[in-house]
Amino acid sequence: MKLYNTIKDLCLCPSVSGREEKIRDMLRELIKPFCDECATDNLGNLIAVKKGRGTENSKRIMLCAHMDEIGFLVNFIEDSGMLRVAPVGGISLPAAAFTRVVSEKGVKGAIVPEDKVKAADYKAQAFYIDIGAKDKKQAETKVAIGDFFVAAPSLEKLMGNRICGRPLDDRVGCAVVLGIAEALADVQLDHDIYYVFSVQEEVGCRGSQTAAFRVQPDIALCFDVTATGDTLGASPMACGLGGGAAIKIKDSSVICDEEITKALCRAAKENKIKHQKEVLLFGGTDTSSMQLAGAGAAAGAISIPTRYIHSGVEMCDLGDVQCCIDLGAEFIKSI
Amino acid sequence: MTSEKLIERLCSAFGPSGREEAVAGLIKKEISDICPNAVYDRMGNLIAVMRFGDTSAEKRKRVMISAHMDEVGFMINEIKSNGTLGFDTVGGINESVMAGRRVSVLGEGGLMTGIIASKAIHHKDKKEREKAVKTEKLYIDIGAADGDEAKKYVSVGDFAVFDSPFYTFGEGLVKAKALDDRMGCAAMIQTMRALKKQPPEGDLDACFCFTVREEIGLSGAKAAAYRIKPDIAIVLETTAIADIEGVDPSGRVADVGGGVVVSVMDRSTIYCRPLVDLALRLGKQKGIKAQVKRYVSGGNDAGTIHKTGEGVKTVALSVPTRYLHSPACVASMEDYHSQQRLCEEILRAVCSTEEI
Amino acid sequence: MNKNKLKEFIFSLCSVMSVSGFEKRAEKPITELTAGMFDSTLTDAVGNRIFIKKCGKQNAPRVLIDAHLDEIGMIVTEVCKGGFLRIANLGGIDVSIMQAADVIVYGEKPLRGVIASTPPHLKKDDKLPAFSELLVDTGLSEDTLKELVDVGTPVGFAPIYGELLNGRLIGKSFDDKACAACALLAIAETPGEELAADVYVMLSATEETNRLGGVAAGAFRCDPDYAMVIDVNLARVPDTKDYETVEMDKGISISLSAATDRRLSMATAELCRRKDIPFSLIAAPSSTGTNATTVNLVGLGIPTVDVGLPLACMHTYNEVISMTDAMSLARLVREFVCSKEIAAEMTREEVSLI
Repeated sequence: MKLYNTIKDLCLCPSVSGREEKIRDMLRELIKPFCDECATDNLGNLIAVKKGRGTENSKRIMLCAHMDEIGFLVNFIEDSGMLRVAPVGGISLPAAAFTRVVSEKGVKGAIVPEDKVKAADYKAQAFYIDIGAKDKKQAETKVAIGDFFVAAPSLEKLMGNRICGRPLDDRVGCAVVLGIAEALADVQLDHDIYYVFSVQEEVGCRGSQTAAFRVQPDIALCFDVTATGDTLGASPMACGLGGGAAIKIKDSSVICDEEITKALCRAAKENKIKHQKEVLLFGGTDTSSMQLAGAGAAAGAISIPTRYIHSGVEMCDLGDVQCCIDLGAEFIKSI
Repeated sequence: MTSEKLIERLCSAFGPSGREEAVAGLIKKEISDICPNAVYDRMGNLIAVMRFGDTSAEKRKRVMISAHMDEVGFMINEIKSNGTLGFDTVGGINESVMAGRRVSVLGEGGLMTGIIASKAIHHKDKKEREKAVKTEKLYIDIGAADGDEAKKYVSVGDFAVFDSPFYTFGEGLVKAKALDDRMGCAAMIQTMRALKKQPPEGDLDACFCFTVREEIGLSGAKAAAYRIKPDIAIVLETTAIADIEGVDPSGRVADVGGGVVVSVMDRSTIYCRPLVDLALRLGKQKGIKAQVKRYVSGGNDAGTIHKTGEGVKTVALSVPTRYLHSPACVASMEDYHSQQRLCEEILRAVCSTEEI
Repeated sequence: MNKNKLKEFIFSLCSVMSVSGFEKRAEKPITELTAGMFDSTLTDAVGNRIFIKKCGKQNAPRVLIDAHLDEIGMIVTEVCKGGFLRIANLGGIDVSIMQAADVIVYGEKPLRGVIASTPPHLKKDDKLPAFSELLVDTGLSEDTLKELVDVGTPVGFAPIYGELLNGRLIGKSFDDKACAACALLAIAETPGEELAADVYVMLSATEETNRLGGVAAGAFRCDPDYAMVIDVNLARVPDTKDYETVEMDKGISISLSAATDRRLSMATAELCRRKDIPFSLIAAPSSTGTNATTVNLVGLGIPTVDVGLPLACMHTYNEVISMTDAMSLARLVREFVCSKEIAAEMTREEVSLI
C-alpha cells in the first residue's frame, strides 16, 4: 500500500517538461532521508548523493528516472476563448482527444479536436483546449500564451496488483529509485550512489545529459517504463505485465552494456527476483544520454513494463514495480 | 555609425557556415576599441569578455551572450563539363527562393558573381511550371565556357551565398540577406558599446560570443559555452514568422513591429522560466516592446548551449523576421532596437538579482 | 608497407566479431592481433578501444585517428519454436540481401546459421519480408537452442574473404575495420621518433546504431589537438551520381564540409599532393555523415578532417575495397601523423578569456 501511495502522490503532482518545480520539491523531501547531499543543477535536475566509503575501488553509480511528463503549451488564444496548443513531447493525439486537462496554475479544461476532423487526420494544429471561458478576455484572466497544460492526473487500483492512470511514465520510475534509496539507506557501500531525477526527458533526454556530465558516473542505470507485447494486436515483444523487472537489452537509442545486463540477470537469479529481458525496437530513454555524457559510462536500464504508454490509462503491475526496486538494490549491493 | 549602417555592413559580408572569417574580421575590427582582447577559439568563434565590478569577487555572474555569424549558403559539389556548377545548400534553404537568384561564389581568386539557373519557362511543361525546381536540377552559371575554364576559378567544396542588396523601405523596415543573424551580431556590438559607456552595477562577466556554424545545426556555440561555462546564456536571434495576409492569426508566430520575441519553447529548447519572466517584466518596466512567441517552431544555438556541460539557464530574444533564409529577409528596426535594449537591461538586472 | 601484410591484417581484423553495441567482445581478439604494436591501450566504458603511441617529445600535441570498430549486424529478439530465431537489425541493412545469408549466432558458443527464405511456390507476391519476419535457421532443436541462445544475443555475418581482379578484396565489415587496420598498421610501423605528435588511434563504438556514436565519449577522453576521422565512402557504381561517390583505385577522398575544419582539410589535401598520394576532394555541404561531424564538436572543439576509403556494396557481407586505395590510406595516415607542418599549425593556442 505504501508503494501504491507513493506512486499516487507522485502522479497527482502535474509537472510538464521544463516546468518540474513542483515534483522536484516533492521528490527532494522524499529522498532527503536516504542521502547525504541534495542539489539542483541549472536545468533543474535533482541530484542526490549517498556517499560511499571512498576506497580505491569506489565507483560512481548514477540511478536516473525522469520526473517530467508530456503535455501542451498554449500558443494562441482565439477570440472565442479557446486555446490553441502545441504538444510538448510525444503526445498521442488519438489518446489525448476528449480528455480533461489542467494547467500549471490549476486551470481546468478539456482538450478536443476541431469538429469534423476524423481521427485518422488528427494533427496538433486541429486541437484546442476549452476552459469554459466565454471569450478571449475572460480566458486571459486565467491563462496566458506560454502556459503549460497536462492531461489530468489520476491513479486507481484495478484487479490484483494492477494500477491504472497517468503519468506512470515516469513517476513509477521515480518511485522505484526512491524505493532503492530506502532499501540502501542503512547499507554501508563502497560506492557513491547518485539518485538523479531528471528533467525534460520527454522532449529529447535533455536533463540527463547535463546531470550525467556533472556526475561523471562509471555505471549508469535508467529507470523508465517500457512497452509490452501482451496487449491485443501488439507487435510481438517478449515482455509483459506481471513478468517482473524488465532488463533492457536495447531500445532505439541505446544498446546496453553487456556486462551490466549480465550482472543484472545474475543479481536477479541469485536473489530469485522475477525478471524478463526487454528488446524495444522503438523509443528512447535517458540511458543513451548517460552512456555518452563526458567520457562515457557503462549504461544499462531496469524498465517497468507498462501498457498504453502516453495515454490517460497507463497500466503497471505493482509486483513488477517491487521487482524493479529489489533488483536495483541487489544489483548495487553486488557491485 | 547608425544601426542601419552597421547592419548593412554586417549583412553584406560573405559568411556561410564554415567560412565565417570575413564576418568575424569585420566584427573584431568594429569592437577593437571596446574590447581589444577579443579572441578566436579553435572553432572560429570570436569571444569578447567584458568584466565589471569587483573582479576578485567570488560570486560573479557569468553570462554568455551569443549571436551567430554564419548565414545559409551553398557549396559547389560538381564542376560540369559545360562549365556550370552543381551545388547543394549549406543550411536550410527553400527551393522556392533559389531559382533565378544572383549569388556570390568565393573561388580561388576571390568573390565572383553567378546566377542560380535552370531551364526557361518555355521549356517547362505544365506540371513542371507548378513546382519549384529541385536543387539537383539547378546549377550555378558563372559564365565559364567549359569545365576547364570553370576549374580555373572554382573548386569542388567552394562556397557561395546569396547576392542581394540591403535597403530600408516601408515604415522602418529593412531588407537584406543574412539578417539571420547579423542583426543579432549588431545588437551585441551595440550592447557592448552601451555597457562600456555606462557600466552595469554588479559583479558581471559578460562573455560576448560571435559564433559559427549555427545554420547547419552543429553549433560552434557549444564549444564556446563549454569554454566559458556560463551560469546564464542570452541568445540573440531572428525568428521566422508569417504575419502576412492569408495566414490564420494562430499560425503567425509573431508580428513585425510587435517588439522583440521572447520564446517559451521551440523545437530545441524549453527556456528557463525565471529568465523568461525577467525578460517580460523588464520589457514592461523599461517600456521595451516585447511579445511572447506564439508557435513552437524552429531552433537555434540555445538548443546546444543549454545542454552544454552541467547545463546553462538560457533565454532567447529574437527579432521577428519575414522570409527567413531567403535573399530578402524583412525586419523592423524598432524590433531590432527592442532586442538590443532588452538584452542590455537583462545584463544590468541579472548581476543585481539573487533569484536567478 | 608490405601489401600482403596489410591485406592479411585487414582480413584478420575484419573477421573479428564487433556487431554494434557488442564491441567489448572484440577486446581480447584485438589485443592478440595488436600485441606489441603500441605503447599502451585501453577499452573505455562505452566500448571504444584506444591505442596510444608517444612521439617522445615533451608537451607534444595530440592527434586522434578515428575509425569505427563496430559493424552492422543483428540481435536475437525471440527464440521461436522449432529451433528458429527471430532477429532485429543493428544498423542499416538492406533486407534484399538477407534471405539465404550465412550468419553466425554468437551465443554461449558461436553457432552457424542461415537466414530462412520462402520457397518460390509459396510466395504470394514479390514483396520482400520485413526484417522482423526473417528467421535464422540454426539447425538445432528448440531445447538445445534455448540453452545456447537467449534474447539479446548478437548475430553477425559470416567472415568469408576473397579477392577479385586487380587486387580488390571482398568480405564483411570492411566498413570500417579495413580503415582501422590501415591506421593501426601504418602507425605501428612508424618509428616513434618520426611522429610529430602523440598518436591516439581510436576504434570507436556504436557508429552504426547511435546518432552520436561512442566516439563522442572517446574523443572527450583523448582530448586531442586535431583529428582525422576515417570511414568508408560510397564507391561509384552504375546508377549513382558522380558528386555523391568516389572512384575506386583512384585513392582516398577528403571531404570539404561546413561541419569539419577547412584549414586542416586543405592541409591534408596539400600533404597528399606533396607526397604523391592519390586523392579526390568531395563536397559534403552540411554534414559528412560520419564520426567527423561529432568529433569536431567535442569539448572545446576539435579541428577534424574527414577521410574516406572507397567501398562498393556497402552494408553487405560482400563489401568491396581496393588494395591500392588501402595502401594509399595507410600512407596518408603515416604522413599525417608525421607532418610537423600540420602539427605546428594545429597545436592549440591557449585561448585566454582575460
